[in-house]
Amino acid sequence: MRGVWAIATREVGSLLRLPVGWVVIALFAFLSAVLFVNGTLAPGQPATMRYFFSSASWLMLAIAPAVSMRLVSEELRSGTVEPLRTAPISDAAVVWGKYLGAVAFLALMLAPTLVLPVVLWGVSDPRPDPGPVFAGYLSLMLVGMLYLSVGLLASSLTSSQTLAFLGALMFLVLMMVLTGVVSQAQATPGWLARALAALSVQARARDMAKGVIDTGAVVFFLAGSGWFVLLATAALGSRRWR
Amino acid sequence: MIIVREITKSFGKVRAVRGVSLELPAGQIAGLLGPNGAGKTTAIRIITGYLPADKGHVAIAGYDTGREAMQARRQIGYLPESAPMYPEMTARGYLEHRGRLYGMDRARRKKAVGEVLERCRVGELASRRIGALSKGYRQRVGLAAALLHDPPVLILDEPTNGLDPSQIREARSLIRELANERTMLLCSHILPEIERTCDRVIIMAGGRVCADGTPEELTGGGGAPRRYTIEVRSNPSAGAGYSIGRLRGVAGVGAIEAAGEQPSDASGGWTRLLVEGEPGAGDLREALAGAAADAGLFVRELRGERDTLEDVFVRTVEADGAAGGAA
Repeated sequence: MRGVWAIATREVGSLLRLPVGWVVIALFAFLSAVLFVNGTLAPGQPATMRYFFSSASWLMLAIAPAVSMRLVSEELRSGTVEPLRTAPISDAAVVWGKYLGAVAFLALMLAPTLVLPVVLWGVSDPRPDPGPVFAGYLSLMLVGMLYLSVGLLASSLTSSQTLAFLGALMFLVLMMVLTGVVSQAQATPGWLARALAALSVQARARDMAKGVIDTGAVVFFLAGSGWFVLLATAALGSRRWR
Repeated sequence: MIIVREITKSFGKVRAVRGVSLELPAGQIAGLLGPNGAGKTTAIRIITGYLPADKGHVAIAGYDTGREAMQARRQIGYLPESAPMYPEMTARGYLEHRGRLYGMDRARRKKAVGEVLERCRVGELASRRIGALSKGYRQRVGLAAALLHDPPVLILDEPTNGLDPSQIREARSLIRELANERTMLLCSHILPEIERTCDRVIIMAGGRVCADGTPEELTGGGGAPRRYTIEVRSNPSAGAGYSIGRLRGVAGVGAIEAAGEQPSDASGGWTRLLVEGEPGAGDLREALAGAAADAGLFVRELRGERDTLEDVFVRTVEADGAAGGAA
């Protein structure tokens, strides 16, 4: 546990010491402000942030792999994995530490956008309902956590950050097409369509953006993240045999 | 302190380490030598527990690196080749991080970091980013990180690689200082370095240990020289052959050859001869001088040369290459 904490804090610290961390934070803050101004802050619109939350979960598709790409790849490339893996901590602690560090960074990245609901509160006449705003942030966090775990797996498979980024992005887009497009297609047999739809991240995120917190959805995101972190641990462990 | 039993490791078809066994008692400084690709780094990675061996066992201070990995890792301070570290962190920040990985509490961490910074003479640059440090300083920070948890075993892979001569000298004195009370395995290409620092030399080639002993043992004992240079004056018309013939009569002399030119009027009859001593012949200087005097040869130089570690290294590695080629 101690090792997990040490690694997580180092990971956050490093992201904040590197340009990539600040670029991601600035980019996300800028794009979310654009989404908010365009979609929500218009006269006559209902005072909800639904549009912001559903579009921001699309942004996660590219942002999460950008945050996670260096987690393990950079250690493999620069050789720092050697002192790391000869220190008295387990592979699982290394991977969980890195994952939790990335999740903490995600929370930091989302923090500046908290100004948006405050603005909405100030300008709209029937005040916005706080429930959906809370649910929306929860959904963004959960979607981001799942995407980060996929990115972490990609990162522990290669020493190239570019490959880790593209691999995670491609996997996420592929899953989106399978669960969103293929599951709706006429030609898809019913059982497969149902199975694919059941794996849909977008459908769950949409529901939560409406303010519906479904325990099943929360479990889906957390279990999915845990599963990919375990796979990443196995991927790192298998490097010992290669 | 370090016990290595018959470790073997292959990467695909390449057999990097083939049945290496070693035993280092506490307090010994051993140098691991070998040409590139001899399996040194792989062997070191197995000993530190970074790589598992296909076969064989390693125990550090009684802890098996496989079954009791965490305890074994605590016994080792390891500086990997080229000291990989996070360039965006400061030297002090990195050491703090390492301290946390070893489970040191805040007070102990602070004390230990201060101590190793001073010991490795990083001091004034501790708050610079590691990426901005020169190679010599980076190496020192790496060494400081290896020492942080005060391990009884130190394993250093090429600690002086890429340093300039004055940095090498500094690193060497630091290493010797650290050697007190520690067991150390040092891997290097730089032979004089090993010769000066280590109690014991292990030469690896082709994934095997092919020589193991103290530097004195390997270089043929502290005693007799193996080669002699003798410069004698003879009648130019007799040529070098005369002198060679007379000196060959000395018991224990092996091959003799003339270095450079034959004696001539221009050289004043002086010629330089290289004499090989036979193994176990003892010191032949007196006998050579005597024989020269008896033959009426004037001597103006007589020097015995011992084998250097470099000679032993080249001989051992070449012999192994020949054996490997035949096998």
